[in-house]
Amino acid sequence: MLLIHCPYCDETLPEAEFTYAGQAHVVRPADPSGESDADWEAFLFLRDNAKGPHFERWRHLHGCGRFFNAVRDTVSDRFLTTYEAGLPRPDLSTLTEDQP
Amino acid sequence: MNAPVSALTPGPLVETDVVRVSLEAPRGRLSLRARGELAPFDVALGLTLPRKIGQRAAGDGIEALCLGPDEWMIHAPEAQVGALLSACATLYERHPHSLVDVSGRETTYVVDGPGALDLLSVGCPRDLDRILPGEGRRTVFDGVTVILWRDGETTARLDVWHSFAPYLSELLETGSRELAADAAAAR
Amino acid sequence: MSSHRVAGKGRIDTTRPVSFTFDGRRYSGAAGDTVASALLAHGVHLMGRSFKYHRPRGPVTAGSEEPNALIGTRRGPGRFEPNTRATVQEIWQGLETTSQNKYPSLKWDVGAVNDAGYMLFSAGFYYKTFMWPKSFWDKVYEPFIRAAAGLGVSPSEDDPDRYASRNMHCDVLVVGAGPTGLAAAHSAALAGAKVVLVDEHAEMGGALLSDPDVQIDGAGAWTWLASRLAELRALGVRTMTRTTAIGYYHQNLVGLCEKLTDHLPDLPADTPRERMWRVRAKRVVLAQGALEKPLVFHGNDRPGVMLAGSAQTYLNRFGVLVGKAPVVLTSHDSAWFAAFDLADAGAKVQAIVDTRDSVRDDLRAGASARGIEVRLSHTATGTSGRLRVKSLRVAPLRADQVGAATEIACDAVLMSGGWTPSLHLFSHTKGSLTWDDTQTTFLPKDTPEDCHIAGASRGLWGYEAALVDGDKAGREAAQALGLKIAAGRFEVAQDRTGSGVSHRELPSDRSPARSKAFVDFQNDVTAKDLRLAVREGMRSIEHVKRYTTNGMATDQGKMSNINGLNIAADALGKPQPQVGLTTFRPPYTPTTFGCFAGYHRGSHFEVTRKTPIDGWAEAHGAAFEPVGQWRRAWYFPQPGESMDDAVRRECRATRESVGIFDASTLGKIEVMGPGAVEFMNRMYTNPWTKLGIGRCRYGLLLGDDGYIRDDGVIGRLGQDRFHVTTTTGGAARVLNTMEDYLQTEWPDLDVWLTSTTEQWATVALNGPNAAALLAPLVEGVTLSDDDFPHMSCAECTVAGMPARLFRISFTGEVGFEVNVPAPMGLRLWELLWERGRQYGITPYGTEAMHVLRAEKGYIIVGQDTDGTVTPYDTGMSWAIGKKKPDFVGMRGLARPDLQAPGRKQLVGLLSEDRSKLEEGAQIVFDPNQPVPMKMVGHVTSSYDVGTSGRPIALALVEGGHDRMGEIVHIPMPDRTIAAKITPTVFVDPDNARLKL
Repeated sequence: MLLIHCPYCDETLPEAEFTYAGQAHVVRPADPSGESDADWEAFLFLRDNAKGPHFERWRHLHGCGRFFNAVRDTVSDRFLTTYEAGLPRPDLSTLTEDQP
Repeated sequence: MNAPVSALTPGPLVETDVVRVSLEAPRGRLSLRARGELAPFDVALGLTLPRKIGQRAAGDGIEALCLGPDEWMIHAPEAQVGALLSACATLYERHPHSLVDVSGRETTYVVDGPGALDLLSVGCPRDLDRILPGEGRRTVFDGVTVILWRDGETTARLDVWHSFAPYLSELLETGSRELAADAAAAR
Repeated sequence: MSSHRVAGKGRIDTTRPVSFTFDGRRYSGAAGDTVASALLAHGVHLMGRSFKYHRPRGPVTAGSEEPNALIGTRRGPGRFEPNTRATVQEIWQGLETTSQNKYPSLKWDVGAVNDAGYMLFSAGFYYKTFMWPKSFWDKVYEPFIRAAAGLGVSPSEDDPDRYASRNMHCDVLVVGAGPTGLAAAHSAALAGAKVVLVDEHAEMGGALLSDPDVQIDGAGAWTWLASRLAELRALGVRTMTRTTAIGYYHQNLVGLCEKLTDHLPDLPADTPRERMWRVRAKRVVLAQGALEKPLVFHGNDRPGVMLAGSAQTYLNRFGVLVGKAPVVLTSHDSAWFAAFDLADAGAKVQAIVDTRDSVRDDLRAGASARGIEVRLSHTATGTSGRLRVKSLRVAPLRADQVGAATEIACDAVLMSGGWTPSLHLFSHTKGSLTWDDTQTTFLPKDTPEDCHIAGASRGLWGYEAALVDGDKAGREAAQALGLKIAAGRFEVAQDRTGSGVSHRELPSDRSPARSKAFVDFQNDVTAKDLRLAVREGMRSIEHVKRYTTNGMATDQGKMSNINGLNIAADALGKPQPQVGLTTFRPPYTPTTFGCFAGYHRGSHFEVTRKTPIDGWAEAHGAAFEPVGQWRRAWYFPQPGESMDDAVRRECRATRESVGIFDASTLGKIEVMGPGAVEFMNRMYTNPWTKLGIGRCRYGLLLGDDGYIRDDGVIGRLGQDRFHVTTTTGGAARVLNTMEDYLQTEWPDLDVWLTSTTEQWATVALNGPNAAALLAPLVEGVTLSDDDFPHMSCAECTVAGMPARLFRISFTGEVGFEVNVPAPMGLRLWELLWERGRQYGITPYGTEAMHVLRAEKGYIIVGQDTDGTVTPYDTGMSWAIGKKKPDFVGMRGLARPDLQAPGRKQLVGLLSEDRSKLEEGAQIVFDPNQPVPMKMVGHVTSSYDVGTSGRPIALALVEGGHDRMGEIVHIPMPDRTIAAKITPTVFVDPDNARLKL
């Protein structure tokens, strides 16, 4: 069971308090009806399958209830960082496996 | 099968040498959601809403625990609920918020005694020592969302939605007896 | 005193005799004995038969790595456990134990014929033999394999024991309480860390318990141990015995299995049998020590042949001489000390046979002083004896040539092929290993976890080395936590240092084809099997393992891994590191399902939610069904009624007078804030702007892919306030989805969601008399079509209780849903029940609710839809707000595939022969087409207990909306049923019954 740092609570807590919520930075278009079929397909269905750092979302369900973003290395299964929803992607070159 | 919800009446549930678990009498509970300027709510509620998740504040008979960036659980005597709702309603136009009466939603266990934290560790995966006396958190106990109010070194309250109470009562009772048996074996 | 007990030796308490039975015969032992030590004290070595060849076997070890001495233990009804290691199970007064894999008796076993046929049962036997003919599989092969496979007998009764689990957090967890672990715990605790020290044995001390003559800090090992343990407790170290670290998981989570009662004669009330601890440690120190390796030679499995270190343990810890005339066979110095200890305790050690050509002078002097014959440069080529070893056949080695053999008479062979560091938990961390050629073993290298490994488990040997290394590991763990402590000092005298060499199978003059030199004792894998596997093409150690089953028994290859690797590497002609090691996986030792399940069994099997009215339903004989986490009243059978009878009666009563239904489980969400209307417009398909306060609307929730996700009636209670209801099973999911959109896509909206599912108890009244029953209790609302028409809602008072009243119907009858604060729900229900008697009020369950709604063509999300169904498919385009700029699913609905003709659409079905169709049954257009037929849909709902007078069904059928009146076919195993496509509404299509 992993330990996850909630950026809202500023605490590192057991995975059992959290739920996974899919890939991060997949933004719903402001006007979906203006999207082409191909673009809409990409939004709905196409996701990364990263070997290494992966941008993903978690929710602190049994806690503050917030959705937030994380970078997790899918090889080591370690979190590199977590950050609040809405913030831009962090620079991967600055990340280490020592999340707070 | 465990007990029906209606059989869980206020009073002691289990008492052993090391821990006592009881169900509290009904109390008023309000779920407050608000953003931005909080000072008007401090006035309306008669306490300073804690700004940091896990922190608590108390006013005249009422208590507030910050659960999320824009969320507080407020406990108050049942008789005060109406007045608190009205006081905040007058703020709504200028300070939109959501204040919902959830007095009927939850029930509260009081866990008390030298084995209190051990009993909670039966169901809580998080390190309970990091919830200091006087703080509180929403967390998980045996798969169920709970709000834990740590009132003292060996005293805590556990708020749960009442439909889960028969299930949780069973584990709190089993765990309390188990802890007592552990203590007896250690003597 | 028992025949092989040595007075004054051991840590058992001979003043407290304990009697137990083995295979029905009574034996006496002493408090502190294991089953193995107590039987050995009576000279009994034969404790079981092997798995494949049914060869007689005795214990080879004195610990949890034991492969042979597996027994069944019984403590009355239900309390039987197979495959218990006799070397671990402590005896208690009245314990019943039995041997395994034998028929009719341990001494005379018919299965031993397999032993004579060993030439047939070679590696890959199963793969090669049970291949063809195919028809033999069911009747011949599988029954044979099932009868022959497995070790002990499975328990067949319910387990009456209780199991527990708990979470723990600490600074430093030390696994293993031998000298290394004791030193580590001490330095970490002294530095101020919160330390937990665990050991799988009944006592702490590890190897110190077997080596009392070692002197530490001027005291005997046992004296030092006692004072060190007292000191640790004084420092606040939590010490846990009979506690096995079974697995090392992500980020320093270690699973511990604590056995609390298996050693007790009387079971204390309220104490679980086992407890699973989930320990999250900031640092972990692994100090699991090393495991002794057997030597591989013909007949090395005969009862009486055991590891030298274990013989030393039996003597020093249990006061048992495993043999009075043992011979020692070794390639490592450590066995010499075993020989000395046994000789000093009165055994006539026949010889020390060492494969090496030179040995330390002090060891040779020790043997000489005790008059023990020493044979260097010797190999062993066999043993004799049927149920107990009688002699060891040894031969000199000269340049790997085996010379003339001689027999040494003996009653035990104490062997040592060196030691293997215990790397199991270290490997669980995905730690990397490095091959050490000198020690011929793998040693720990790097680990991604915050983990230290020390002492014999990283190849160090001798007490001083272990103590110093443990102290260092504890200190480093403390330092990593910001704590400081100086290095500890240890003065060790009479240390037992040593070294040795490692072998493949020992050189022999025997034909390899006729040699039974065991590598894996439990799975009966010999050196010959491993070489055969390589000859037959297995190249990876993982393939060799699976082909031969080496290391796959319950001991997980603790003794056999390195010997197996050495032999496979030799056969492959590659160095060991290139062949590699198989993966260690949790659990470290066999662990009961009970321990993993913990509290979650019986009534506590899974989270079960109950409504405030659940107790009433139970008292009134309801049958229940699980819906999501809830248990809901399914139907209320009266005496003598079948389920169909009860549901038919409940349906009729509701259509004819009034039915009462507990709808409390419906999800409820309070949507509040200035952005509430906009939020509802974006979230649901329907338009909400013009919905008046006090009015309700059926809301349909899609995913962005355009498929139906949930539905429910939504009431507007204020300009900025909605009372949203969801399906019972979808409540949590819907709230999560809404929060997701709100938090991450639409942070611009000032609106908040609060779950009120449990704030309200919801009592539904349905039927022509519902209004008459309810009206006298309602204050503030007049229950008429004018004042409170269908699809109205109001905040009012019902029977003096604050209420939210909805006039809605999921049955097609006039319906009300009364929401009162949950603690008042039962009171309201009982009041309505009492006052409803004049109308013959009938409680109905979820089944009648399903029937009544199906008759009206109302869908159930998840039953009539399956995540690939659009509102158009269900004929609900009326629920879609056509003028809205966007809602979740709007763009999805415009996808070409969702617009394409020939989609499966929801229709009614009436079987031509008036039989009830089966839910899930497939539908075809042409029943005469060749198989495989083209399936064009399936039955989603089907009932024959309703009020429409005939069985009805709902189905998804390709292009169904344009096929009204057509006949489709439902092929069943025994016949094909014809059915006519109809509209989905079977009762009151004009909704006349919804009017008062």
